[in-house]
Amino acid sequence: MDTSDYAFPPSVETLYCDHHSWLQAWLRRRLGNAADAADLAQDAFLRLLATPRKFGSLPEARVYLRTMAGGLCVDLWRRRRIEQAWLDTLAAQPEARAPSAEHQAIVLEALQEIDRLLRSLPVKAAHAFVMSVGSGMSEKEVAAELGVTTRMVRKYVAQAMLHCLETL
Amino acid sequence: MSAADTPPKRQQSATVPGHAVLQQAAEWFALLQSGEATPADRAAWQAWHDSAEAHRIAWTRVDRVGQLFQPIQKTPDPRGAVGAYRSATIAVGRRRLILGLAALAGAGLAGSVAWRPSLLPGLFLAWTADHRTTTGEVREVLLGDGTRVWLGTASAFDEDFTPALRRLQLVAGEILISTAADADRPFVVDTPQGRLRALGTRFTVRLEDGDTRIAVYDGAVQAHAADGTSMVIHAGWRARLTPQGLSPAEPVSPASEASTRGLYIAENDPLDVVLRELGRYRTGYLSVSPEVANLPVFGSYPMTDPDRALAMLESVMPIRVSRPMPWWIRVGPR
Repeated sequence: MDTSDYAFPPSVETLYCDHHSWLQAWLRRRLGNAADAADLAQDAFLRLLATPRKFGSLPEARVYLRTMAGGLCVDLWRRRRIEQAWLDTLAAQPEARAPSAEHQAIVLEALQEIDRLLRSLPVKAAHAFVMSVGSGMSEKEVAAELGVTTRMVRKYVAQAMLHCLETL
Repeated sequence: MSAADTPPKRQQSATVPGHAVLQQAAEWFALLQSGEATPADRAAWQAWHDSAEAHRIAWTRVDRVGQLFQPIQKTPDPRGAVGAYRSATIAVGRRRLILGLAALAGAGLAGSVAWRPSLLPGLFLAWTADHRTTTGEVREVLLGDGTRVWLGTASAFDEDFTPALRRLQLVAGEILISTAADADRPFVVDTPQGRLRALGTRFTVRLEDGDTRIAVYDGAVQAHAADGTSMVIHAGWRARLTPQGLSPAEPVSPASEASTRGLYIAENDPLDVVLRELGRYRTGYLSVSPEVANLPVFGSYPMTDPDRALAMLESVMPIRVSRPMPWWIRVGPR
């Protein structure tokens, strides 16, 4: 293909034809799983449909799509990690204390949503916030758990809340 | 300052809480959440919350963030769920830590020092006033001349009697006054928005949202606004003194007199109005979901016992009262 084709903004259809197969192959190499790769490639193009962009050239489109797909991989990876940790926690719990299947799914979704919201924060700030608000631990308990002062915990909670207020 | 150029400014600052306001909200949240907040802290938070529309809007956003955690709080083992989150995010942290710190460097909390003192004047005056009540308290005071004053929740006034004048200065909240007759010494109540002169009477004065609200039950009150205008408010009427002057008088409801004594009489009042009034009697945050905010409420409720009033409301209405945190009450559909 001649790069001059990109002198005019290409349609998503054109982009799809030009890029879908290499993107899916690239994702498959990263994820080691064809089904996930297909899903994420699809996601990437859906996002492009939602917010169309102009690309000056074929390599520029490729760089953009690769960056976006990379972000989607990280998303998927973090969601999976949380899902696995939650399943491990449930498995370790006595039968009687386990929440219903529906509630288990709701909790998982909440944990993933919270992670998405807090992921750009320093880990300790995010953890202090989630321990304090999610499990109602006192400042002293959180401080002992993180090995920081209670003053630091207060700062972390404020920092995380401010971040949420400005992001939501 | 003309009245014409202020409303748009007010509107703007009211609808979009800026960074500074969000930062204050976050700091308040951290304090209330810490388990170390004193009653004075909660009163100071309440004053902050009530003092501006932007603060209230910011706090509804705090509420929204809090709601994200509800499924975790409700699970039989919240610590287990939080532990799962921590173990899943701890190892991926290093790179994020560096990126996160860079992103947050500009959004530090250094500004927090700047706003605290601005809260102080009103609160400080209330703490040092001659007569005051804490949140949830209602008290009767007998003054030297035989005048009776009932202080509503979180209210304060100063008493300044001279041989020529009986003067009260309302500093916070609401008072109901039943004046004793004294032909030689006029009785006045001063508020930040003007002066009220009693003409043999029983009336309430309330500071709310930067206005003075007056309701007269017996006799009459002459109200003088800061801009020099004045009017006589007769028994059965109420009016407001605002920074822009006096509002026209309207008929008064008997319920508002009862309120100074800690009883709320609801006659087809929307639920959010009743809850807002109840909120004045307790420290902490009370949120109501939009689906139930407009449900009509009937009956009388003891405001001095907010937990009982809430239980009564819950028993007669299709609502559910939950307490995500000890200082936080949320009212939603059942």
